[in-house]
Amino acid sequence: MSDVGWGLWGTWEETEACLGKVVGQWQGPDPVERGSIRRWLEPKEFDCAIHTDVDAAKAVGHHDVVAPASMVFTYGVAAYWSPGDLNQSIDDEPTQIQIPVIFNVPAPCNKSFATSMEITFEEPLYLGDVVTCTSRLIDIQRKTLKVGPGAFLRQEDTYTKQTGEVVAVASLDIFRFYVSDGEAGHDE
Amino acid sequence: MTNSGPVVAVVGEYLPEISIPITLQRLVMEAGANRDFSLMHHDGSIARTAGASDAFANTFFLMGMFERLVRDWAGPQARFTKMGPLKMLNFNIVGDTMVFKGVVELVETTLKGRRLVLELWCESERGQTTTCVVELLTP
Repeated sequence: MSDVGWGLWGTWEETEACLGKVVGQWQGPDPVERGSIRRWLEPKEFDCAIHTDVDAAKAVGHHDVVAPASMVFTYGVAAYWSPGDLNQSIDDEPTQIQIPVIFNVPAPCNKSFATSMEITFEEPLYLGDVVTCTSRLIDIQRKTLKVGPGAFLRQEDTYTKQTGEVVAVASLDIFRFYVSDGEAGHDE
Repeated sequence: MTNSGPVVAVVGEYLPEISIPITLQRLVMEAGANRDFSLMHHDGSIARTAGASDAFANTFFLMGMFERLVRDWAGPQARFTKMGPLKMLNFNIVGDTMVFKGVVELVETTLKGRRLVLELWCESERGQTTTCVVELLTP
Protein backbone atom coordinates (compact mmCIF):
# COMPACT_ATOMS: atom_id res chain seq x y z
CA MET A 1 0.00 0.00 0.00
CA SER A 2 1.07 3.52 -0.66
CA ASP A 3 2.27 6.41 1.43
CA VAL A 4 0.13 9.48 2.23
CA GLY A 5 -1.07 11.54 -0.72
CA TRP A 6 -1.03 8.67 -3.19
CA GLY A 7 -3.03 8.98 -6.39
CA LEU A 8 -4.93 11.64 -8.29
CA TRP A 9 -7.47 13.43 -6.11
CA GLY A 10 -11.01 14.13 -7.31
CA THR A 11 -14.69 13.37 -6.80
CA TRP A 12 -16.55 10.09 -7.35
CA GLU A 13 -18.37 11.82 -10.22
CA GLU A 14 -15.00 12.39 -11.87
CA THR A 15 -14.13 8.75 -11.27
CA GLU A 16 -17.37 7.60 -12.91
CA ALA A 17 -16.68 9.86 -15.89
CA CYS A 18 -13.56 7.78 -16.66
CA LEU A 19 -15.44 4.46 -16.80
CA GLY A 20 -14.90 2.69 -20.11
CA LYS A 21 -12.32 5.20 -21.29
CA VAL A 22 -8.63 4.94 -22.12
CA VAL A 23 -6.87 6.30 -19.04
CA GLY A 24 -3.29 5.69 -20.09
CA GLN A 25 -1.20 4.68 -23.08
CA TRP A 26 2.52 4.50 -23.56
CA GLN A 27 5.22 2.57 -25.37
CA GLY A 28 7.77 0.57 -23.43
CA PRO A 29 11.12 2.32 -23.91
CA ASP A 30 13.20 -0.76 -24.69
CA PRO A 31 12.78 -3.51 -27.29
CA VAL A 32 12.99 -7.14 -26.23
CA GLU A 33 16.68 -8.06 -26.09
CA ARG A 34 18.93 -10.68 -24.53
CA GLY A 35 20.39 -8.47 -21.79
CA SER A 36 17.08 -7.53 -20.22
CA ILE A 37 15.88 -11.14 -20.43
CA ARG A 38 19.02 -12.36 -18.68
CA ARG A 39 18.69 -9.78 -15.92
CA TRP A 40 15.01 -10.75 -15.46
CA LEU A 41 15.86 -14.47 -15.19
CA GLU A 42 18.74 -13.86 -12.78
CA PRO A 43 16.96 -12.95 -9.49
CA LYS A 44 14.48 -15.79 -10.04
CA GLU A 45 17.22 -18.36 -10.71
CA PHE A 46 15.17 -19.23 -13.78
CA ASP A 47 17.00 -21.60 -16.12
CA CYS A 48 15.23 -22.33 -19.41
CA ALA A 49 17.17 -22.27 -22.67
CA ILE A 50 14.31 -21.03 -24.89
CA HIS A 51 14.83 -17.63 -23.23
CA THR A 52 18.56 -17.52 -23.97
CA ASP A 53 19.41 -19.82 -26.86
CA VAL A 54 17.98 -19.48 -30.36
CA ASP A 55 18.49 -23.15 -31.25
CA ALA A 56 16.64 -24.27 -28.13
CA ALA A 57 13.80 -21.88 -28.96
CA LYS A 58 13.61 -23.07 -32.57
CA ALA A 59 13.57 -26.69 -31.43
CA VAL A 60 10.16 -26.11 -29.83
CA GLY A 61 8.66 -24.05 -32.65
CA HIS A 62 9.69 -20.47 -31.97
CA HIS A 63 11.48 -18.49 -34.68
CA ASP A 64 13.87 -16.79 -32.25
CA VAL A 65 14.71 -16.43 -28.57
CA VAL A 66 11.40 -15.90 -26.81
CA ALA A 67 10.88 -13.70 -23.75
CA PRO A 68 9.24 -15.25 -20.68
CA ALA A 69 5.47 -14.78 -20.99
CA SER A 70 5.01 -12.68 -17.87
CA MET A 71 7.87 -10.41 -18.91
CA VAL A 72 5.35 -8.53 -21.07
CA PHE A 73 4.61 -6.49 -17.93
CA THR A 74 8.22 -5.34 -17.82
CA TYR A 75 8.45 -4.46 -21.50
CA GLY A 76 5.24 -2.47 -21.09
CA VAL A 77 6.46 -0.31 -18.20
CA ALA A 78 6.83 3.34 -19.19
CA ALA A 79 10.18 5.11 -18.92
CA TYR A 80 10.85 6.80 -15.58
CA TRP A 81 12.75 9.57 -17.35
CA SER A 82 13.16 10.39 -21.03
CA PRO A 83 15.20 12.98 -22.92
CA GLY A 84 13.36 16.29 -22.69
CA ASP A 85 11.87 15.55 -19.26
CA LEU A 86 12.75 17.77 -16.30
CA ASN A 87 15.69 16.75 -14.17
CA GLN A 88 14.77 15.46 -10.74
CA SER A 89 15.54 17.49 -7.63
CA ILE A 90 16.26 16.03 -4.21
CA ASP A 91 12.92 17.26 -2.79
CA ASP A 92 10.81 15.84 -5.62
CA GLU A 93 8.47 12.94 -5.00
CA PRO A 94 9.96 9.68 -6.29
CA THR A 95 8.79 8.67 -9.73
CA GLN A 96 6.33 5.79 -9.46
CA ILE A 97 5.47 2.96 -11.80
CA GLN A 98 2.53 3.89 -14.04
CA ILE A 99 -0.79 2.61 -12.70
CA PRO A 100 -3.39 4.75 -14.48
CA VAL A 101 -6.32 3.91 -12.19
CA ILE A 102 -4.27 5.40 -9.36
CA PHE A 103 -2.43 8.25 -11.02
CA ASN A 104 -4.68 9.26 -13.95
CA VAL A 105 -8.16 8.59 -12.56
CA PRO A 106 -9.41 11.14 -10.03
CA ALA A 107 -10.99 9.77 -6.84
CA PRO A 108 -11.48 11.01 -3.26
CA CYS A 109 -8.83 8.61 -2.01
CA ASN A 110 -5.31 8.86 -0.64
CA LYS A 111 -4.34 5.20 -0.27
CA SER A 112 -4.49 2.10 -2.40
CA PHE A 113 -3.44 -1.49 -2.68
CA ALA A 114 -3.60 -4.16 -5.37
CA THR A 115 -5.83 -7.14 -4.65
CA SER A 116 -5.79 -9.30 -7.76
CA MET A 117 -4.46 -9.49 -11.28
CA GLU A 118 -4.68 -11.83 -14.23
CA ILE A 119 -3.36 -11.96 -17.75
CA THR A 120 -4.26 -13.82 -20.93
CA PHE A 121 -1.46 -14.42 -23.42
CA GLU A 122 -2.06 -14.21 -27.16
CA GLU A 123 1.32 -13.91 -28.93
CA PRO A 124 4.91 -14.53 -27.77
CA LEU A 125 7.43 -11.70 -27.53
CA TYR A 126 10.61 -12.13 -29.58
CA LEU A 127 13.89 -10.24 -29.80
CA GLY A 128 13.31 -6.78 -31.27
CA ASP A 129 9.62 -6.54 -30.40
CA VAL A 130 8.42 -3.28 -28.85
CA VAL A 131 5.40 -3.23 -26.55
CA THR A 132 2.68 -0.59 -26.23
CA CYS A 133 0.31 -0.69 -23.26
CA THR A 134 -3.19 0.79 -23.43
CA SER A 135 -5.12 1.01 -20.16
CA ARG A 136 -8.85 1.35 -19.68
CA LEU A 137 -10.95 1.72 -16.54
CA ILE A 138 -13.53 -1.03 -16.96
CA ASP A 139 -15.22 -1.34 -13.55
CA ILE A 140 -15.88 0.64 -10.39
CA GLN A 141 -17.30 -0.97 -7.26
CA ARG A 142 -17.74 1.39 -4.31
CA LYS A 143 -17.15 -0.32 -1.00
CA THR A 144 -16.12 0.37 2.57
CA LEU A 145 -13.54 -2.01 3.96
CA LYS A 146 -12.01 -1.99 7.41
CA VAL A 147 -9.24 0.25 6.08
CA GLY A 148 -11.72 2.92 5.02
CA PRO A 149 -14.27 3.98 2.39
CA GLY A 150 -13.27 3.63 -1.22
CA ALA A 151 -13.76 1.62 -4.37
CA PHE A 152 -12.36 -1.31 -6.28
CA LEU A 153 -11.18 -0.04 -9.65
CA ARG A 154 -10.46 -2.55 -12.40
CA GLN A 155 -7.88 -1.58 -15.01
CA GLU A 156 -7.64 -3.52 -18.26
CA ASP A 157 -4.26 -3.31 -19.97
CA THR A 158 -3.92 -4.36 -23.60
CA TYR A 159 -0.34 -5.04 -24.66
CA THR A 160 0.37 -4.84 -28.38
CA LYS A 161 3.56 -5.15 -30.39
CA GLN A 162 4.78 -2.97 -33.25
CA THR A 163 2.85 -5.10 -35.78
CA GLY A 164 -0.42 -4.34 -34.02
CA GLU A 165 -0.75 -7.90 -32.78
CA VAL A 166 -2.14 -8.26 -29.27
CA VAL A 167 0.47 -9.89 -27.03
CA ALA A 168 -1.59 -10.06 -23.87
CA VAL A 169 -4.56 -8.59 -22.04
CA ALA A 170 -4.27 -8.08 -18.30
CA SER A 171 -6.65 -6.90 -15.62
CA LEU A 172 -5.59 -5.36 -12.35
CA ASP A 173 -7.88 -4.74 -9.36
CA ILE A 174 -6.88 -1.85 -7.14
CA PHE A 175 -8.73 -0.82 -3.97
CA ARG A 176 -8.44 2.93 -3.55
CA PHE A 177 -9.67 4.40 -0.27
CA TYR A 178 -9.46 7.34 2.07
CA VAL A 179 -7.65 7.41 5.39
CA SER A 180 -7.75 10.59 7.45
CA ASP A 181 -4.55 11.96 8.96
CA GLY A 182 -3.21 9.82 11.75
CA GLU A 183 -5.12 6.69 10.89
CA ALA A 184 -3.07 3.57 10.38
CA GLY A 185 -3.04 1.73 7.12
CA HIS A 186 -3.49 -1.88 6.26
CA ASP A 187 -1.47 -4.42 4.38
CA GLU A 188 -1.54 -5.49 0.77
CA MET B 1 16.41 -26.24 -14.42
CA THR B 2 13.64 -26.85 -16.94
CA ASN B 3 12.61 -30.40 -17.78
CA SER B 4 13.26 -31.49 -21.34
CA GLY B 5 9.50 -32.20 -21.50
CA PRO B 6 6.85 -32.49 -22.69
CA VAL B 7 5.42 -33.32 -19.31
CA VAL B 8 3.02 -36.21 -18.67
CA ALA B 9 0.45 -34.40 -16.58
CA VAL B 10 -2.05 -36.18 -14.38
CA VAL B 11 -4.82 -34.56 -12.38
CA GLY B 12 -3.74 -34.40 -8.75
CA GLU B 13 -0.04 -34.45 -9.61
CA TYR B 14 2.06 -32.08 -7.51
CA LEU B 15 4.73 -29.96 -9.19
CA PRO B 16 8.27 -30.10 -7.78
CA GLU B 17 8.38 -27.18 -5.36
CA ILE B 18 10.80 -24.27 -5.55
CA SER B 19 12.33 -22.61 -2.50
CA ILE B 20 13.91 -19.17 -2.75
CA PRO B 21 15.17 -16.83 0.00
CA ILE B 22 14.02 -13.21 -0.14
CA THR B 23 17.00 -10.97 0.50
CA LEU B 24 17.14 -7.22 -0.04
CA GLN B 25 19.75 -7.86 -2.72
CA ARG B 26 17.33 -10.11 -4.58
CA LEU B 27 14.55 -7.51 -4.37
CA VAL B 28 16.87 -4.79 -5.67
CA MET B 29 18.02 -7.05 -8.53
CA GLU B 30 14.38 -7.84 -9.25
CA ALA B 31 13.30 -4.19 -9.26
CA GLY B 32 16.09 -3.34 -11.69
CA ALA B 33 15.14 -6.25 -13.90
CA ASN B 34 11.36 -5.89 -13.92
CA ARG B 35 11.28 -2.07 -13.66
CA ASP B 36 8.75 -1.85 -10.83
CA PHE B 37 10.57 0.70 -8.70
CA SER B 38 7.73 1.25 -6.21
CA LEU B 39 9.51 2.19 -3.01
CA MET B 40 7.97 -0.44 -0.74
CA HIS B 41 9.70 -3.14 -2.75
CA HIS B 42 13.21 -1.99 -1.89
CA ASP B 43 12.91 0.54 0.97
CA GLY B 44 12.06 -0.94 4.36
CA SER B 45 11.05 2.40 5.91
CA ILE B 46 8.44 2.99 3.20
CA ALA B 47 7.28 -0.61 3.40
CA ARG B 48 6.64 -0.16 7.12
CA THR B 49 4.23 2.72 6.42
CA ALA B 50 2.24 0.20 4.37
CA GLY B 51 2.03 -2.22 7.29
CA ALA B 52 4.83 -4.58 6.30
CA SER B 53 7.80 -5.20 8.56
CA ASP B 54 10.31 -4.69 5.74
CA ALA B 55 10.56 -4.40 1.96
CA PHE B 56 8.41 -6.98 0.19
CA ALA B 57 8.34 -8.73 -3.18
CA ASN B 58 6.30 -7.18 -6.00
CA THR B 59 3.67 -8.78 -8.20
CA PHE B 60 5.97 -9.02 -11.24
CA PHE B 61 8.33 -11.19 -9.18
CA LEU B 62 5.46 -13.38 -8.00
CA MET B 63 4.19 -13.83 -11.56
CA GLY B 64 7.70 -14.62 -12.76
CA MET B 65 8.30 -17.19 -10.03
CA PHE B 66 5.00 -18.91 -10.79
CA GLU B 67 6.06 -18.99 -14.44
CA ARG B 68 9.37 -20.58 -13.43
CA LEU B 69 7.58 -23.16 -11.24
CA VAL B 70 5.44 -24.22 -14.18
CA ARG B 71 8.17 -23.97 -16.82
CA ASP B 72 10.60 -26.10 -14.77
CA TRP B 73 8.00 -28.83 -14.59
CA ALA B 74 6.21 -28.55 -17.94
CA GLY B 75 9.25 -28.14 -20.20
CA PRO B 76 10.09 -25.78 -23.05
CA GLN B 77 7.23 -26.93 -25.32
CA ALA B 78 4.54 -25.59 -23.00
CA ARG B 79 2.76 -22.36 -24.00
CA PHE B 80 1.28 -20.19 -21.27
CA THR B 81 -2.23 -19.05 -22.14
CA LYS B 82 -3.37 -17.49 -18.87
CA MET B 83 -2.01 -16.56 -15.46
CA GLY B 84 -4.35 -15.49 -12.70
CA PRO B 85 -6.19 -14.55 -10.81
CA LEU B 86 -3.10 -13.89 -8.77
CA LYS B 87 -4.23 -13.10 -5.25
CA MET B 88 -1.97 -11.48 -2.69
CA LEU B 89 -2.91 -12.66 0.77
CA ASN B 90 0.12 -11.55 2.76
CA PHE B 91 3.48 -9.87 2.26
CA ASN B 92 6.57 -11.73 1.11
CA ILE B 93 9.22 -9.92 3.11
CA VAL B 94 13.00 -9.69 3.32
CA GLY B 95 14.13 -12.61 5.48
CA ASP B 96 11.35 -14.93 4.31
CA THR B 97 11.98 -18.12 2.43
CA MET B 98 9.27 -18.39 -0.20
CA VAL B 99 8.22 -21.87 -1.27
CA PHE B 100 6.29 -22.13 -4.55
CA LYS B 101 4.01 -25.13 -4.99
CA GLY B 102 1.35 -26.35 -7.38
CA VAL B 103 -1.01 -29.13 -8.36
CA VAL B 104 -2.65 -30.18 -11.63
CA GLU B 105 -6.38 -29.45 -11.52
CA LEU B 106 -7.45 -30.23 -15.08
CA VAL B 107 -6.11 -32.01 -18.15
CA GLU B 108 -8.17 -31.98 -21.33
CA THR B 109 -7.52 -32.56 -25.01
CA THR B 110 -8.25 -29.70 -27.37
CA LEU B 111 -7.60 -29.02 -31.06
CA LYS B 112 -4.54 -26.96 -30.05
CA GLY B 113 -3.08 -29.63 -27.76
CA ARG B 114 -3.55 -30.62 -24.15
CA ARG B 115 -4.96 -27.86 -21.98
CA LEU B 116 -3.72 -27.93 -18.39
CA VAL B 117 -5.08 -25.92 -15.49
CA LEU B 118 -2.84 -25.67 -12.45
CA GLU B 119 -3.53 -24.35 -8.96
CA LEU B 120 -0.41 -22.68 -7.61
CA TRP B 121 0.46 -21.08 -4.32
CA CYS B 122 3.33 -19.72 -2.32
CA GLU B 123 4.07 -20.27 1.34
CA SER B 124 6.40 -18.65 3.81
CA GLU B 125 6.87 -18.67 7.56
CA ARG B 126 3.54 -16.79 7.72
CA GLY B 127 1.62 -19.49 5.84
CA GLN B 128 0.11 -19.11 2.40
CA THR B 129 0.92 -15.67 1.01
CA THR B 130 -0.10 -15.81 -2.64
CA THR B 131 -2.27 -17.97 -4.89
CA CYS B 132 -2.40 -18.16 -8.68
CA VAL B 133 -4.11 -20.19 -11.38
CA VAL B 134 -2.18 -20.94 -14.56
CA GLU B 135 -3.45 -22.36 -17.83
CA LEU B 136 -1.15 -23.72 -20.52
CA LEU B 137 -1.07 -25.80 -23.66
CA THR B 138 1.29 -28.73 -24.07
CA PRO B 139 1.82 -31.14 -26.98
